[in-house]
Amino acid sequence: MSSEVDLAIAPDVPSPAPRAAWLGSVRSVGAVAVFLIVWQFGVPLIGIPDYVLPLPTVIAARFVDTFGLQLHHLATTALTTLAGLSIALVVGVLLALAVVYVHALKSIIMPFLAAFNSIPKIAIAPLFVIWFGLGAESKILLAFLLALFPIFVNSLTGLGEIEPDILDLSRLAGGSPYRVFTMVRLMHATPYITDALKVAFPLALVGSIVGEFIGGNRGIGQLVLSAQFNLDTPLVFAALVSITVFTTAGIGLINLFERRFLRWRPSQRTR
Amino acid sequence: MSVALEIVDVRKTFGTGVAVERASFAVEANRFVSIVGPSGCGKSTLLRIVAGLVAPTAGRIAVAGRRVDGPITNVGMVFQAPVLLPWRTTLANILFVAEVGGHKASMHRARALELMDLAGLRGFEDALPHQLSGGMQQRVAICRALLLNPPLILMDEPFGALDVMTRERMGFELQKIWWASRNTVLFVTHSISEAVLLSDSVVVMTPRPGRIHEVVEVDLPRPRDASVLTQPRFVELCARVRGGITRFERDVARDEADAHVL
Repeated sequence: MSSEVDLAIAPDVPSPAPRAAWLGSVRSVGAVAVFLIVWQFGVPLIGIPDYVLPLPTVIAARFVDTFGLQLHHLATTALTTLAGLSIALVVGVLLALAVVYVHALKSIIMPFLAAFNSIPKIAIAPLFVIWFGLGAESKILLAFLLALFPIFVNSLTGLGEIEPDILDLSRLAGGSPYRVFTMVRLMHATPYITDALKVAFPLALVGSIVGEFIGGNRGIGQLVLSAQFNLDTPLVFAALVSITVFTTAGIGLINLFERRFLRWRPSQRTR
Repeated sequence: MSVALEIVDVRKTFGTGVAVERASFAVEANRFVSIVGPSGCGKSTLLRIVAGLVAPTAGRIAVAGRRVDGPITNVGMVFQAPVLLPWRTTLANILFVAEVGGHKASMHRARALELMDLAGLRGFEDALPHQLSGGMQQRVAICRALLLNPPLILMDEPFGALDVMTRERMGFELQKIWWASRNTVLFVTHSISEAVLLSDSVVVMTPRPGRIHEVVEVDLPRPRDASVLTQPRFVELCARVRGGITRFERDVARDEADAHVL
């Protein structure tokens, strides 16, 4: 029986070619290194002063000096960002669920969300400061609002667009709505939600930082603002380094989750 | 012998179109029955009506003596596409029907492995669907339909998406798997030779409106192997089934010609 068995790829074949992955990271690191070297040695040649575009070494030195300060402010920003993102995740998925299961809600919720999404949230940020003050609440709210839409839209697709045959099969097997939800819809939606998180996470960060620009005395946004006020451009860049490290770590964590648990996704397949 | 499936005067219309017109037949338990006919003759619709996924406009269906008035849960289903969950391994896909139905997967593991053995899927327990060929995926779907040993298994052109050579081999595979348990099967196909090879009887349907033209009993001894394909009796039965369909088409052509004269 079976020539067919031979044709299919055996499941225990170790892959992906580890060498290719290793080469890929070498290329990425190399590209960054070349970029930094050109910056370091090219910028002085054109004569751009430090307060306009500081050299990588100057930024690095400033980052090391102010490391404690960076951590202190980053912790505040990280907290409001992750809080906003978490609430957006819960609310976005619940809203999508409501729309999937109670079809009538679609025509009620969708226009509100569409209208709301077309408002530039950043423009109404000062309003949130009036309503919620200069503390963490207004920042969390901004982060939440910016992150909500992509999570809701992707959850809606992931939870709702299941192949009808799969649903028929589940019904014929006596699947209860709860089991169909956990075994089919939620599993199908997971990659859509992780994709949404990759977009929503930097957006939530934008929300937090804009909130910090508007008021308060803590957070990376405040650090950037005060550095700019003192014309301490290296510190502005050092703060950007902190933000970048934070975002990269967050996205990296999501990627790690995908590689570990979403092996079946076309993008994660190893052949 | 007990009756596994009874279809009485079933009619189905969509808007003004008639998909199935007064179909009636019964299937005795442990028999393999095919519905064969050209595209659009309502055979897939009839299968979905039997499963309770589609309500008939008129008539009634009984499975194992119980009237069908909604999706029935003691039926196995194989679609034209394998319809596997891409995140589940082969074994977990077969066990899916047990789990989603609220049974403990561990209770059915032994049965699933036994079916996989029978279907030549041994060693692929942990493979994900995308690592399997089309024929293997469809064998997983067949194992899944057989897992809970349902009194009735419905197959809607299960080999329709496969290439001709794989398709022929899958016919013999299915016969082997089916022979081990002999659940009642209602099998929809548009391949005449596939229907005759696999079935105890073949229901011939004709389109516009979909109606049952005749039922051909297949008296070839089992198990049937490739040598059956060249036996005179096999060829004769295929010709009878084909005759049922072409006779109908000739009638239609004549009716249309008459309409022109008028």
